[in-house]
Amino acid sequence: MILIVDDKYENLFSLKTLLQLYAYDTDTAASGEEALKKILKNEYSVIILDVQMPDMDGYEVAEAISGLNKTRDIPIIFLSAVNIDKRFIAKGYDSGGVDYITKPFDNDLLLMKVKTFHRLYTQRQELKQVEEALRREIEIRKKSQQEVEQINSLLEFKVEERTRDLLQLNKDLENRNAELAQYAYLASHDLQEPLRKIITFIKIIEEKYLKNIPEAKTEMSKVITSSERMRNLINALLSYSKLSAVSLFTPVNVNEVVKDALADLELTIKEKQALIDVTHLPEIEAIPGQMRQMFQNLLSNALKFSKTGVRPQINICHEAVNELSLEAAPDKNGKFIRIHITDNGIGLDESYIDKIFVIFQRLHGKAQYEGTGIGLAIVKKIVEKHNGIIGVKSREGEGSTFTIVLPVKQSNSTN
Amino acid sequence: MTHPRSFLLVDDDIDDILIFQETLKKVDEKIQLFYVHDGKDALDFLAENNGHLPSLIFLDINMPRMDGKECLKHLKHDEKLKNIPVLMYTTSSQSTDIEETMMTGAMCFITKPWGVNELNTLLSAIAHTPVQKLPATLQTLQKNISCFIVC
Repeated sequence: MILIVDDKYENLFSLKTLLQLYAYDTDTAASGEEALKKILKNEYSVIILDVQMPDMDGYEVAEAISGLNKTRDIPIIFLSAVNIDKRFIAKGYDSGGVDYITKPFDNDLLLMKVKTFHRLYTQRQELKQVEEALRREIEIRKKSQQEVEQINSLLEFKVEERTRDLLQLNKDLENRNAELAQYAYLASHDLQEPLRKIITFIKIIEEKYLKNIPEAKTEMSKVITSSERMRNLINALLSYSKLSAVSLFTPVNVNEVVKDALADLELTIKEKQALIDVTHLPEIEAIPGQMRQMFQNLLSNALKFSKTGVRPQINICHEAVNELSLEAAPDKNGKFIRIHITDNGIGLDESYIDKIFVIFQRLHGKAQYEGTGIGLAIVKKIVEKHNGIIGVKSREGEGSTFTIVLPVKQSNSTN
Repeated sequence: MTHPRSFLLVDDDIDDILIFQETLKKVDEKIQLFYVHDGKDALDFLAENNGHLPSLIFLDINMPRMDGKECLKHLKHDEKLKNIPVLMYTTSSQSTDIEETMMTGAMCFITKPWGVNELNTLLSAIAHTPVQKLPATLQTLQKNISCFIVC
């Protein structure tokens, strides 16, 4: 809207008519005071201001307008018929005008000026709006960046906290495990003591007093058999819990280990007339005692689960492979050794294979085949301590092949 | 080469002492057996026995007042006693016990046998072997009896 300020009604009327002809919204004020009131209340894009007015002249009005934040950007065009001297014009510009037109004026020129200033004002307002929007956008972005940073540091903190918790938990678990192993060791160790007494005294009683009482002797031998079985169980448990202790990897001659294990089983081998064939095995990094225990358990199993009336035949052979795999093709320069222990015993049902390495799982009736149910669990634990894997292939009635894959060199010196 | 003439058994288990005594009598009547019930008594006995020292000491580990490990340290630090061979004679088979006592100077570490027959085998071997040759003999014996022997 365009405001026309003039104390003469005819001037107001003619200008208003002219501008309305060109579709401008117009408003009028007949004095400086009225103009100021209207300017504060409404929004104007151009003010056409007469210089000479009673009470408050155009300069004063312009100065007042320029002094107010809300209005200082509105372009003011002075109109004057009297003060056409250069110094009046300069004063007009000084007081805040953007143009100074002297009467008589050319209608077209005035219109063009109004049009230009109107457009400039509108554009400026638009620019201001854009600026304001930009400022707000920047603020929002700054704020959200701060939020992101806050969330990030919170996340980092949480991750750190969680990692710490997990590490602590892990440590606790390791401690708990070690404690449990120690507990199992002590428990089984303490169980041994009374049992040793029981067995010792039963044997004394049997020898001293039961020689001529055959029925008592038969029953006592059952007590002895049970006690011996319990002894084996406790021993096996002891060995199993001992595996949790930390031990050193050293170079181990697997040939010697197998020889020792066979020597320990000499009696059974002779008794069953077993045939045993062993290829030349290499040296690997391992825990010697555990390697011996592993072969002893596997070989004693192979002997134990032989077919009645068939001469047990056990083959131990090996090949090098380049990955920790039961199936991979042999590779002469491989970093792993794969050992197969094959027997011609009773074999086992494939569906039982998952169970045989679990502690206290027994597949066969006690009367038929002796065993503690811990032997293969120990073997598996040993293999795992050596960072290896174990598998078994078998068919009921056709013997079994246990396969072990072990690293030739261990990456850490202890386990 | 001298064969052992007397044993000192240090053990708080009265049953074990009785069985040991009876079995030793069957193995060799002439070997004298002294026994005491803990490490302190053992040291007192060795200090007082009119200067007569046993040929061998069988030393249990878990005992009241002074345990076998402590007693062994005292024995090995005593100029007069440190040359008497000590056989650890215990139910423990814990590797730490074995290592510690062998390092301190025990001659062998033997777990108590399960039954009189095995004890008989063990004591016969010890009674009929010159003290200096004991470790070698006991090591071969390991294969025939179920007790655990480290020399």
